[in-house]
Amino acid sequence: MLSRADNEFLTRSGPGTPMGDLMRRFWMPALLSEELPERDGPPKKIKILGEDLLAFRDSTGRVGIVEPHCPHRGANLYYGRNEECGIRCSFHGWKFDVEGNCVDLPTSPLESTYKDTIKLLSYPTREWAEMIWVYMGPREKMPELPQLELGLVPAAHRYVSKKWQDCNWVQSLEGAIDTAHFSFLHNVPSKDEKAKLDVFKKTSAIGAGSDVQDRVRWVMDDPRPRFSILGHDTGLVIGAARKTDSSDRYWRISQFLMPNHALVPVAFPGDVYHGQCWVPVDDVTCWIYTYSWIPDRPLSNAEREKYASGLSLHAEVDAEYMPVRNIRNDYLIDRKLQKTMSFTGITGVSEQDAAIQDSQGPIQDRTREHLGPTDIGIVEFRKLIMGAARALAAREPAATQASRGYAVRAGGWIAAEDKDLKTVMVERFGHQHGHVGGEYGFAD
Amino acid sequence: MLSKADNELLTQSGPGTPMGELMRRFWMPALLSEELPERDGPPKKIRILGEDLLAFRDSNGKVGIVEPHCPHRGANLYYGRNEECGIRCSFHGWKFDVEGNCVDLPTSPPESTYKDTIKLNAYPVREWADMIWVYMGPREKMPELPQLELGLVPASSRYVTKKWQDCNWVQSVEGALDTAHFSFLHAVLAKDQEKARAALAKAAIADQATPDDRIRWIHNDPRPKFTVLGHDAGLLIGAARKTDGSDLYWRISQFLMPNHAYTPTAFPGEIYYGQCWVPVDDRSCWIYTYCWQPDRPFSNAERMKFDSGFNVHAEVDDEYMPLRNLRNDYLIDRTVQKHDTFTGIEGVSEQDAAIQDSMGPIQDRTKEHLGPTDIGVVEFRKLLMSSARALKAGTAPKAASAAAHYAVRAGGAVAAPAKDLEAVMAERFGHVRGYVGQQYGLGD
Repeated sequence: MLSRADNEFLTRSGPGTPMGDLMRRFWMPALLSEELPERDGPPKKIKILGEDLLAFRDSTGRVGIVEPHCPHRGANLYYGRNEECGIRCSFHGWKFDVEGNCVDLPTSPLESTYKDTIKLLSYPTREWAEMIWVYMGPREKMPELPQLELGLVPAAHRYVSKKWQDCNWVQSLEGAIDTAHFSFLHNVPSKDEKAKLDVFKKTSAIGAGSDVQDRVRWVMDDPRPRFSILGHDTGLVIGAARKTDSSDRYWRISQFLMPNHALVPVAFPGDVYHGQCWVPVDDVTCWIYTYSWIPDRPLSNAEREKYASGLSLHAEVDAEYMPVRNIRNDYLIDRKLQKTMSFTGITGVSEQDAAIQDSQGPIQDRTREHLGPTDIGIVEFRKLIMGAARALAAREPAATQASRGYAVRAGGWIAAEDKDLKTVMVERFGHQHGHVGGEYGFAD
Repeated sequence: MLSKADNELLTQSGPGTPMGELMRRFWMPALLSEELPERDGPPKKIRILGEDLLAFRDSNGKVGIVEPHCPHRGANLYYGRNEECGIRCSFHGWKFDVEGNCVDLPTSPPESTYKDTIKLNAYPVREWADMIWVYMGPREKMPELPQLELGLVPASSRYVTKKWQDCNWVQSVEGALDTAHFSFLHAVLAKDQEKARAALAKAAIADQATPDDRIRWIHNDPRPKFTVLGHDAGLLIGAARKTDGSDLYWRISQFLMPNHAYTPTAFPGEIYYGQCWVPVDDRSCWIYTYCWQPDRPFSNAERMKFDSGFNVHAEVDDEYMPLRNLRNDYLIDRTVQKHDTFTGIEGVSEQDAAIQDSMGPIQDRTKEHLGPTDIGVVEFRKLLMSSARALKAGTAPKAASAAAHYAVRAGGAVAAPAKDLEAVMAERFGHVRGYVGQQYGLGD
C-alpha cells in the first residue's frame, strides 16, 4: 500500500515531476524503425512522457524528434514538407534540420542572420535494434544506449513490435514482474490435457522443450511461489520458486531493468528470450515495446508469423499497433469460453495482461491495495525506482550509468531445493545476475 | 511575442472579458438567412462569444435570438413550439415573442398579471446581406449595421456562406492578414502547366482565362515589404513584391473592426472576397465567407463554383462543416505534397484552416518569433487590444460609430516603385483608404 503522495510520485512522469526527471535520464524507445520507413516520408506525431513531439526521417536517413510547433507563428510542422535534409513549415517556409537548427528562413532578408538565433527544441535520437530511441534529459548527462542483448544479436535473431495500453505504465510493468499471476490469469482450466497444452504452446507463456507439460502443471499446482530478489547495477533479478513433482524447485526468474524494461521468466536454454519496455505516452496511457530474441540462431519465418499474429507477449495489433482486443471492445471477452477453457475468456496472454492491468483504473489507486508474500517483486521494484527518483531530486550523485550492465538474460530453471537464487543464476546463466556481456566483448 | 496575460486578453471573448465586451459593441453575423428558411420553422441552437442562444423565425418572418432556457423551470425552448408569433415552451406552455416578451402564461389564472413581470433575455436582430445579425452589447450603445459593400450591391451580385473552424478566431484572422504566407502555404510546385493550373483551381488568383504573372511574382518574392495605414473602421495592410520590371506588385488587404478581413487579390473587374470571424467559444469559430462583384450579377456557374469550395469558401456539408477538417487530417495527400502543392491539402480555405488549427486550440503567443513580414499581424493586435483596454477604461471604439466607413475595398495593383501605399490606393480605388461609399450615397 502506498500513501496518496507516494502513488502520485510513482506514477506521474510529465515534465518537472521527480519520476519524469528520472525517466528522462534514460534512452526511451520512441518509435519502431518501420514507423518511419522512408527518407523524406510523412512526419509522425508522437507523445512521450506527456510531451507532444514530431518525428521525421530526413533525406540522409537520420531521424529528428522535435517540438512540433514552428517558432515563427506556432504552426504545426506535421503539415510541413520533409525534404532536402529538413522539415519545412508549410505556413512560411521556415526549415529545420533533425537537430533543430533553422537552416532556411525565407521571409527574412537574404543578408539577415536572424535564422542563426532561431532554434527548434530537438532531442538526441539513435536507431538501434529496429527501434528509434530518444533521450529527453539534460544533454550533459546523456548516457550510452542500454546494451540489451536484443540489440547485440544479429537482426535476423530478433523480433520487435509494440502495442498500445490504456493505463498508467507502472501498474502494467508491475503485472510483468509479478510472476505469481501465471497460476491464475493465464490458466487453462480445461480437463483436456492436450487442448490445454495446445493453448500454452501457442502463447509461448511457458516455453518450449520436452517437459513443457510438466512446467504447466507445476505453475498451476503451486500458486504460492517463493520470491527472492537480487539487486544489481541496472535493476533487479526477481526469482520465484515453485514445487515440482520431486524435491526440486522450478524457478521462474525475471529481470527488471531501470527504468522501464522487464524480461520474462520463461526461457530454458535454447528457448527464445522475451522482454518488454514501457514508454509512458502520458500518465494514463503507454506504448509497450515487445521484443524477442534468440542468441544462437535466426528466428524462422514461422516464428515471426506467430509473433505477428499475437497470442503471446506480442499482441495481435492493427496497422496503428492498437491491440485488436482492447478496452474499447471489452477485449472481446467470451463468457462461455471463460466457463470452460480459459480463466478469463479473453484470447491471448498479452490481452489477458492488458485487460487486468487496465481494469485497475487509468492510474491504480495504491492506497487501497493489500499486498502479500507473492508481491515482494513489486515492492522491491517500487523501492528501487522511487529511491532513485528521490536521490535524483535531492541531487545526490547519480549511480554510474551502467549501459553494459543491460546485457542480461532472464528465464527458467530446475534446481535442487537447497540452492538459493544466486546459485541458481550461476547454474543457469553462468553469472549470478545473468550477465552475458562477455559473449559480446564486454568485460565483466 | 505576447505575454501570457496579453495572449489571454487577445483571445478570450466570453461574457465579462475585455475582448468580449469590445466585440459586443459590434453587430455579429449569427446565422445565414438560409438557416432559418421558413416562418414558424424549427428553432436553431446557436452559440456566440461563449453564450448559448436560441434563434427562431416567427409567423411574420421576424427573427428572434433569445436565451434558450424558459424562465419558468429552465426547460430549453429548443424543444418548444414555434407558432403564432412566438416560441412556446413544451413543458408548461409559456410563450415568448422575438423580443423576449412573455405573451402567454397559461399556468397562471386568466386574471393574473404575472406574465407582465416575466422577460426572456433577447438580443436585437437585423437581417441584411443574406445574414442574420445580432447585437449583444448594451442597448443604449447599439450602432448602425456596418455598411459593407457586400450588403450595398444587389443580392444577385453577392454570395455568402460560412464554415466551421477548430481554433481560436484571432489566429485565424491573423492568418488572413498575413499575406506573406501566399508564397508558401498556397504555393504550387508542379512544373507541368496543366497540373499547375489544376492545383490552383480553387485559388482566386488563378481564376483567369490566361496564365497570370501574379502567381510568378508571389512565388519569386517571399519577402514582401509591408505598409500599414489606419482608418476609422480598421487597417489597410499593403504588401509589395518585386515584378519582372522595376514596378512593384501590391497585395492590399483590409481589416475591419473587430472581425472582418478582405482578401488582397482583386484587380479591377475581378471579384472581391471577405471573411468575418464569429467566436463560438474561445476554441472554435464560425467564419462567414462572402464575395461580391459591384458591376454585375453572379452567374449560376460562379455560384456553383463557390458552392464546391473556392478561395475563402470551403467545401462544406449540410451543417457547414468543411469536408476536409481537423478530424480527418484535412485529407492531406503526402504524394501530392511531394510533387504538386506545398501542403498536399486541397483548397485554399482548407490549407489556411489546417495551418491555423495546427497552432493549437489557442495559439501560445509567448513562444512565437515575429519578423518584418508580420507587421500586419502586430498592428492588428495593437488596434484590437488597445480598443479593448480603452473600452474597459470607458472609451467606446471609434469604429462602432463609423458604420459608413466600412464601405471599402481591398485588392491588388501594379505600381511604380516610388509610390507609397496611399498613392497606390488612390490610383487603384480612387481613395487613399479604398472608400467607395459615395457610389452608394453614404457621403464622401
